[in-house]
Amino acid sequence: MSKIVTVAGGKGGVGKTFVAVNIANILVKLKKRSVLVVDIDVSNPCVFTLIKSDIEKRIPIKVFRPKILKDKCVLCGECVKYCPVHALLLIPAGEIIFIEALCEGCAMCLYACPYNAIVEGERIIGWINVTRDKDLIKIVYGELVPGSRQEGEVMERTLEFSKRYWDDYDFVIIDTPPGTGKAIMHAIKESDIIVSVTEPTRLGFHDLKKLHRLVRMISKQEIVVINKYGIPYGDYREIEEFVKSEELKVYKIPYNKLAIKSYFEGKPILEYDNSVKFKVLKELKKLIEEFLL
Amino acid sequence: MIREIVVASGKGGTGKTFISSNLAFFLKHHLNKNVVCADADVEAPDLILALGGVREVISEHPFYGTKLPVIDYSVCTKCGSCIRACRFNALHMGETGPVVDYYSCEGLGTCSLVCPVNAISFKDKIIGRIIVARSGTDLLTITGDLEVGESNSGRLVYEIKKEAHDLAASEKADYIVVDAAPGIGCPVISSLSGSDILLIVVEPTPQSLKGAIRLTKVSEDLGIKWYIILNKYNLNLEFSKEILKAFKSRVLEAVPYDFEVIVSYSRMTPLLSLKPSSMTSMALKNAFNKLLKVIK
Repeated sequence: MSKIVTVAGGKGGVGKTFVAVNIANILVKLKKRSVLVVDIDVSNPCVFTLIKSDIEKRIPIKVFRPKILKDKCVLCGECVKYCPVHALLLIPAGEIIFIEALCEGCAMCLYACPYNAIVEGERIIGWINVTRDKDLIKIVYGELVPGSRQEGEVMERTLEFSKRYWDDYDFVIIDTPPGTGKAIMHAIKESDIIVSVTEPTRLGFHDLKKLHRLVRMISKQEIVVINKYGIPYGDYREIEEFVKSEELKVYKIPYNKLAIKSYFEGKPILEYDNSVKFKVLKELKKLIEEFLL
Repeated sequence: MIREIVVASGKGGTGKTFISSNLAFFLKHHLNKNVVCADADVEAPDLILALGGVREVISEHPFYGTKLPVIDYSVCTKCGSCIRACRFNALHMGETGPVVDYYSCEGLGTCSLVCPVNAISFKDKIIGRIIVARSGTDLLTITGDLEVGESNSGRLVYEIKKEAHDLAASEKADYIVVDAAPGIGCPVISSLSGSDILLIVVEPTPQSLKGAIRLTKVSEDLGIKWYIILNKYNLNLEFSKEILKAFKSRVLEAVPYDFEVIVSYSRMTPLLSLKPSSMTSMALKNAFNKLLKVIK
């Protein structure tokens, strides 16, 4: 049985991908475990830029779009009336206009048309990318087509698709976008353990509380990583009191030279020769040994 | 005329809230303009925290952003039409008839339309709250707060923008400053639609550059002019050059990062209020003055 871990963080830029990638890398390099990383930050997937490997497969994510048959259409306007997102318009010149950017693919128009003038068409809203295994890591990542509004659908389908590989790996690490919405909730539901990443700022704390509410709603085991621990003038007291009162286990990733360097250079910390002596690695190793292995 | 400025970024944590809070403060307290702020990052709203916290809540109401199907099993014939029609796999056949998986349901209503015996009706569902408040720095702020685990953030963003415009009209505001969600998805597109200008906040990392380029595509599709603020440029001077090369004259200003930025968060005070003549503040003011020139 593989262990499913979701790395989440209410706020953006707290270091979710940093934590996910480094945990994956440590599991592979130091613990010789195989890891599948599923990146559902479909607006801007970045895991593959940090763990570089070749693409093995690229699958389009398609949803319904109406195809209007002009010879059958009598301009009755039923499709316009029923479309719940106003993606269809009847213009005075006598034409039905389809606004692709608004369409959510529910196919209401298909069923609403009394003259069978609308048929099934399709539209690509995103892509699922699968990389070749490199060392012991495979990456599955979703990618939203710019301009498409259906990131939720792309996230869900990427997660669903990735399940075919789950059993082949010791660990599945799901990297999520910032936020606390539905697709993140789905990832949390599928997981054995949630790593909530935050930073010691007022905003980081505010968003951690919201994320914690979501994790608690689904009753999953949660551990907290406070990244950038040690930034001068950070807000420490509130977060520390909060995790204590909620009885959450906390790991602190110090804000030091190695952490900053590896973040800005986009390389996992293990790739630096001197990484063993830094607390960043020690802390993540501790997290892995105490909760994941 | 009301001008709407949207602050966004493809990647999270590059400094959207930092820039939008200081921009709003600058417009109001340095230029004496009337400003309405809108927090459109509805999954993690914290603009008002950066504006001095809540001084006074003016109004608060729930937002019914979606409809949930309710099946009347005394009428249902278990024909399965609704299950076949649903594009989100939110229905499956149970013992007494179709069962709705509320987590997958988008609430668009196709199932109700196709049901031959009209067994499916809808009830409204609250998906979030809308709060109008005055901040500690005297800025009128409208905040959308999406319930955890909800989708349809785009609809909440539309509503916030609509209410922000109503508010701006009644307050005779000159500007609306919208703090958008990270990414390029639905809530961001809703934030952008109908706005006058997009300010993209970039940090000097490849991930941020990649996200920003994706966002420029979205913006251009919508016909909205965009500009760049290069934030925290001193944290990676090498890569900052790449950003400047990529966006050239669209970069309004490079803003340095220093620990006073964190102090300003900690004190819940915009940096322009806390340290108005620091290096970072000077760069911010430069950026905002240039922005006002290009927006006209």
